[in-house]
Amino acid sequence: MSAPRASTDNSAGAQRAPRTIGWLLLTPLLLWLALFVVVPTAILFVYSFCQRDELGQVVFAFTPTNYARILDPVYLGILGRSLWYAALTTTLCLVIGYPVAYFIGRSPPARRSTLLLLVMIPFWISFLLRTYAWLSLLKGDGLVSALLHGMHLLAGPLDVLYSPTAVILGLVYTYLPFMILPIFTSAEKLDNSMVEAALDLGAGPVRAFTQVIIPLTRPGIFAGVLLVFVPSIGMFAVTDLMGGAKVPMIGNVIQNQFGQARDWPFGAALGISFLALFAITFWFLHDRGEARR
Amino acid sequence: MKTRLGSLLALGLALGAALDLSAARKEVNLFGWSEYVPQEVLDLFKEETGITVNYETYASNEEMLSKLLGGAGDYDLVQPSEYVVESLVKAGKLAEIDFANVPNIRNINPAYLHRPHDPEQKYSVPYMVGAISIVVNTERVKEPVTGFTDVFSGRYAGRIVSLNDNRELLTWALQTLGRDFNAVTPENIAAARPLLEKWLPQVKIFDSDSPKTKLLNGDVDIGIVWPGEAAILHREDKKFACILPVEGSHVTIDSLVIPQEAPHKAEAEAFINFILRPEISVLISRAFPYTNPNSEACKLLTPEELANPASFPKGVETLPTFKAIGKAAAQVDKLITDLKSGS
Repeated sequence: MSAPRASTDNSAGAQRAPRTIGWLLLTPLLLWLALFVVVPTAILFVYSFCQRDELGQVVFAFTPTNYARILDPVYLGILGRSLWYAALTTTLCLVIGYPVAYFIGRSPPARRSTLLLLVMIPFWISFLLRTYAWLSLLKGDGLVSALLHGMHLLAGPLDVLYSPTAVILGLVYTYLPFMILPIFTSAEKLDNSMVEAALDLGAGPVRAFTQVIIPLTRPGIFAGVLLVFVPSIGMFAVTDLMGGAKVPMIGNVIQNQFGQARDWPFGAALGISFLALFAITFWFLHDRGEARR
Repeated sequence: MKTRLGSLLALGLALGAALDLSAARKEVNLFGWSEYVPQEVLDLFKEETGITVNYETYASNEEMLSKLLGGAGDYDLVQPSEYVVESLVKAGKLAEIDFANVPNIRNINPAYLHRPHDPEQKYSVPYMVGAISIVVNTERVKEPVTGFTDVFSGRYAGRIVSLNDNRELLTWALQTLGRDFNAVTPENIAAARPLLEKWLPQVKIFDSDSPKTKLLNGDVDIGIVWPGEAAILHREDKKFACILPVEGSHVTIDSLVIPQEAPHKAEAEAFINFILRPEISVLISRAFPYTNPNSEACKLLTPEELANPASFPKGVETLPTFKAIGKAAAQVDKLITDLKSGS
C-alpha cells in the first residue's frame, strides 16, 4: 500500500458505508456488545418493573413501585453522598495524577516506558489483594503506624482504617492510573513549540500552563475524569473492606439488593436509574467539551 | 496421511472411552457453605463408596438461593439454614428424603428435629448448629460483659466488630427489648429503631466474612460473630471469652437437603447417612467447631472440646430458630441502610 493512496482512502472512508469485509470484521464486536451489553441491560430494564415473591424470585407482574422507592430520602441521600465521594476522588486523582502524567509524557522515550510500566504494574495484581494489602499497612499496629511512631510523628495508635478517610484513600489509590494514562496520552502528543511560542509571546509559566497546556491536554483530562468519576460512584468493595461497611454508598445498596435483601427488581431499578445518570453526565460533559473546542 | 488418520482414530476411541467412564462414574454434587465440610470426609466417602463428591461452595444463604433457583448446577445436596429450608419447602423445591436410607438420623439429638421449619422432619437433616456469640478480648476488656446492653453501653464505642447482617442486627435489638424477633412487623421495626440508632455508630467494623480476623489482629476488642468463628477464637487463645447474650439468642440449624430435581438422589442419601456416623461427624467437629447436633459424635469429643463455650453454650438446644420473613426483608434492609447513612 502506498502512502498517498492510503490517505485518499481515509478521507473518503469517513462518508462511505463499510463494505462487506468491514461488516465482517465488525461482527465479533457487535455480537459481543449485543450479547453482553444490550441483552443484559434489556433484562435489567424488564426486571426493574417486576415484583419479588417470598423467596426473592422475580415475578413478572408490572409495578412502578421500584422506581418510586428510589425517590425515598434514604436512597437519595446515599446517592448524594456517593456523588460527593466520587467528585472528591476525581479531584484528588486529577491533582495528583496530572503532574505525574505530564512528567511522564515529557520524559525522554526510554525513561517514559519505564515510568509507564511502573504506573501499570499494580494492574497485574488482583484488586482485592491490593486492598487487603492496604488493610495490613494501615491497621493499628501495621507498618505505616510503626513508621510514624518511629519518626515521632504520631503519639497514639493510627486510627485511619474503617473511616471515610480510608474509603477516599482506597478510591484514589484504585483509580489514579485511570487518570494518569489518558492525560499521559495527551501530554505525550503536546507540541513543545506551542509552549515555546507562548513563552516567546510574553506569557509567564502560569499563563502558558492555563491557556496553552491545559486546553491542549483537555481531551485527556476529560477522558480521565470520566474514567474515574463514573466507576467510583458505584464502587462497593472499597467501602466494605476499608470503610468497615459502615457508611453505605449507592454501590453497596445495589449489591445488597442482589445479595442479602434478595430484591432483584429494586436492584435493577437502581441500576437502570444509575445508567441513565451516567448517560446524562457523559452527554453533559461531552457537550461542554465540544462547545469549548 | 495414513498415520495421521490412525492417530485421529485412536484419539476418537480414547475420547469415547473417557466419555463412557464419566457416565459410569458415581458422583454427587454438594453445594455447601465455604469452610464447612472437611476434605478428609469427602475423601473417606469416596474411598468407601467410590462416589466422588463435587463440592461447590457459597458464602451466604442468599447467594446459594440465587444459584439454586436460577437453575445453575445439578445440585444433589445443599446446606441451607433453617429459615431458608422453610421457604424452600413452602415453594416445593425440596425432595422428601427417604429415611429408610438414612438410618443414622437416630444419632441426632431429638431436640434439633421436628423444628418449625420442617415439622414432620421429611426434608432436612441437621448438619451443624450454633448460636450467635459475643466474643470479648479479656486482656483489653476487664469489666464483665453479659449481653448486648453491655456491649453497646457506649463504653466500647469504636472497639466493636459486628456481623454485617441486617436481620441479625434487628434480632439483637428486638431480643433486648423483649420482643419476638420473628415478628418483623412495622411496629417492631419502629420499636427497634431508636435502640439501633444508638448502637450502630458504636460499631467500628461490619463484617460477615471473617470478623474473627479483626479480633485476632487487635483492631477491635469485642465482637458479635458467627458461632464457629467464636469457637475458633477461643480455641486459638483462651483470652477470647465467648458469651451467650443474657437478652436471648437464637440457634441456627444448617441442614442438608436434597433439591427436587437432584440427579443423584440415592448417592445424596448415602452421603447424608455417611456423615451422620459418629466417627465421621466428629471429624467435622474437629475441623469446624460448631455445635454438633449428633449426640453420638459428641461422646467422642474430648472434655476440652466439649468445654469450649462457643461450641457448646448452655441450653443451646432449646433456643428458638429464625422463621422466614419473606418480603419484610426489604423493610429490614431499608432500616439498617437508613441508620448506617445517618451515622
